[in-house]
Amino acid sequence: MTAQGLDFRIGADLLADLRRWRGRFGIVGAVAAIALIIGAIFSPAQAVRSYLWSYIFYVGVAVGCLAWLMTQYLTGGAWGVVIRRPCEAAVRTIPLLAVLFIPVAIGIPDLYAWAHAGIEQTDAILRHKHVFLNLPFFLIRTAAYFTGWILWEWRLNHWSAVEDRDGGTFPHQRMARLSGPGLVFWGFSVTFMAIDWAMSIEPHWYSTMFGLLFIVGQGLSSLAFLITVLVLLSYRSPLSGVLTPRHLHDLGKLLLANVMVWAYFAFSQWLITWAGNLPHEITWYVERIRGGWGVIAMALIFLHFALPFALLLSRDLKRNFKLLAGIAIFILVMRYVDIYWLVMPDFRRGAFGVSWMDFVTPIALGGVWLWYFLVQLDKRPLMPLHDPHLEEALEHGR
Amino acid sequence: MPDGQEVVEKQAKSEIIAPGYTFGTVTDQISAVVLTKKTPLFWVACFGVGFSLLLVFLWAVALLLAKGVGIWGIRTPVMWGFAITNFVWWIGIGHAGTLISAILLLLNQSWRNSINRFAEAMTLFAVACAGMFPLLHLGRPWLFYWLFPYPNSMGVQPQFRSPLVWDVFAVSTYATVSAMFWYVGLMPDMATLRDRAKNRVARVLYGMGAMGWRGSAKHWSIYETASLLLAGLATPLVLSVHTVVSFDFTIAILPGWHSTFFPPYFVAGAIYSGFAMVLALAIPLRSVYGLQGLITDRHLENAAKIMLATGLIVSYAYIMETFLAWYSGDIFEEAAFWHRMTGPYASTYWALISCNIILPQALWIKRIRTNPVTLFIWSIIVLIGMWLERYVIIVSSLAQDYLPSSWGYFHATRWDWATFAGTVGLFMFLFFIFIRLLPMISIFEVRTLLPQARVKGA
Repeated sequence: MTAQGLDFRIGADLLADLRRWRGRFGIVGAVAAIALIIGAIFSPAQAVRSYLWSYIFYVGVAVGCLAWLMTQYLTGGAWGVVIRRPCEAAVRTIPLLAVLFIPVAIGIPDLYAWAHAGIEQTDAILRHKHVFLNLPFFLIRTAAYFTGWILWEWRLNHWSAVEDRDGGTFPHQRMARLSGPGLVFWGFSVTFMAIDWAMSIEPHWYSTMFGLLFIVGQGLSSLAFLITVLVLLSYRSPLSGVLTPRHLHDLGKLLLANVMVWAYFAFSQWLITWAGNLPHEITWYVERIRGGWGVIAMALIFLHFALPFALLLSRDLKRNFKLLAGIAIFILVMRYVDIYWLVMPDFRRGAFGVSWMDFVTPIALGGVWLWYFLVQLDKRPLMPLHDPHLEEALEHGR
Repeated sequence: MPDGQEVVEKQAKSEIIAPGYTFGTVTDQISAVVLTKKTPLFWVACFGVGFSLLLVFLWAVALLLAKGVGIWGIRTPVMWGFAITNFVWWIGIGHAGTLISAILLLLNQSWRNSINRFAEAMTLFAVACAGMFPLLHLGRPWLFYWLFPYPNSMGVQPQFRSPLVWDVFAVSTYATVSAMFWYVGLMPDMATLRDRAKNRVARVLYGMGAMGWRGSAKHWSIYETASLLLAGLATPLVLSVHTVVSFDFTIAILPGWHSTFFPPYFVAGAIYSGFAMVLALAIPLRSVYGLQGLITDRHLENAAKIMLATGLIVSYAYIMETFLAWYSGDIFEEAAFWHRMTGPYASTYWALISCNIILPQALWIKRIRTNPVTLFIWSIIVLIGMWLERYVIIVSSLAQDYLPSSWGYFHATRWDWATFAGTVGLFMFLFFIFIRLLPMISIFEVRTLLPQARVKGA
């Protein structure tokens, strides 16, 4: 069977579904956004802190998809073909996320102590870091991350469209060639993003593992998101005839591997910090294991690692669409909680607390982002017709 | 479809097994190396070098046992010196073998079938060399069993909070599982050699090694289960062993050692040097024994790509640890890195950066990845670089810690070099005995790569 006889354009049923969901996400997002704006009027500091947390999560999903897209261009294989189109749609939302950085930029004084004028006069460490942690350079760096990400997603999407139109192996070679340097850029940009946006909230603390935690966190969030999307798409044509348990099984294995790598990184950082027990390092954890934060820390061990790990070991489960999607959604929720635990304790020193805006921002940003994701998703056929691995992928599923 | 034709031709060039092989010729070619071919001069020369260096090793160890570890250059405060450098270097080299045999098996990467046998042998011998150093470094190696928590009349137990004790468990588990994995994979091939050997002694010995393997369907089914289970057991070991090795450093609060991302960084470095060693062994072997049809350019390129990828992770680690040492604002942390770059070990540090970061960037170029000669040179560069890395981490951090009054420098003695060269000899000695007596490529696994073996859809 050749790829010629296949048609992966979105069917009428699916299109209607996607449009309906798009509308719902847009409305819910808009309502929540209005609530958030009202909250921001009364408590701007809280609003921007809740916002930063959710924002890091959604950037993680979109930019993580960029990494998976480039990885599959480099390694090849059947698993990559099925995730290509959702990945491409997700990375096309990065320009929107760049615009959505504006509230963070406005809220910098409420987020980062190092941005306060004159603080470097009183604090020796911050004086030392002032060349790096200062407002203009911070904004330049963030602009650089987004420029890079948009540059790569733009070129990858361009060549993917060329491949759809003309076929041949040339576009794929171009994409593979872009992907090597792209992954290098991704690794460094995400590391510095983690340092800038999250680690510098407590500007005295540092850990070399922190960037890697965000790298694997992005990989895990985006993979869980991709699995969820694929399962939802699998009920309707064109993917209903294409996606089989074997494809899901591969992605489920990857999900399991990422859960383990996350636990490995998180545990290593903890063990090394605990064993060293140095005052300027361990205080970061002390803030995060006392009181209510301690409950979240335990929840991360059991629900972010142990439970998904134990469940994903099952072969039957990884081949069951609904159950796998259920775990993927659960992992997405735990990713939220993990970022909350990384980011928020420094804003609420010594006390655990949750604001109503912490519940509104994920919905506001999520609604808007998912709306835009779905706008992007129905622009192209759901499988790349001329991917050199397409037949391998279809064959793999049989 | 002209496009398809082009793709097929292109694939043929980069196949994982050259076209034209049959089940019979695969078996003939691999088993002939052991059973019938005349031993090439290359083998005699390498074995000779290995054996001579092994004698140097025995001499160095005999002297060490007679006089004590003082014959090495280790002096307070640099008490780890060459011994731990060599230990970490050797154990890292072993990791590629386990990655190839276990992780690539689980990932269904069938190209590994032609290189896994000798890579696993490499793992075993590298672990054997690695194990020498902590034992000799004990000072009284004959009391090594004190490291194990056994009930004893002294009423002492090892300190379980110390990662040095975790090392004992990690490395001994690793050696055991690697040996089992390697041996289980060898059994069907030993049976092949048993059936083909003309000499009665060889028949009996290979027969004993094959443990009664007759190739029945039941045997194969048990074999498949066993190898899958062993692969599952070995996979965490790829990560855990070097993670524990990295804890040897990070658990201490020494500037330059106490860095939270050491575990993955050490694992990546281990795989980096391991693939360099795989290439350094595979490239000469395949040309001497004419095995280019089985270990193809595609294998070399894939290994080179893994080397490039892990090398980039290692580069990331150097860059980020240096940046965060500055970012920390901690004067000791900053000083440790400043000393590395400008202090008495600066030349070693910059040699390490050249070998591990700058020169390997050439692997982005396809011409270098696919040319066996350049690839061989590059793999040697990486092996040297990874040795230097461990040396710089260990020696420079120990030499200059918090108190200037306790600073001191390390100078390797001739016995340090003799012991290190001696383990290279031990490795070559063991490896070339293996090449001579056992099939260096897995016969039955390579046969599954042949187009004739694909019976799908029947």
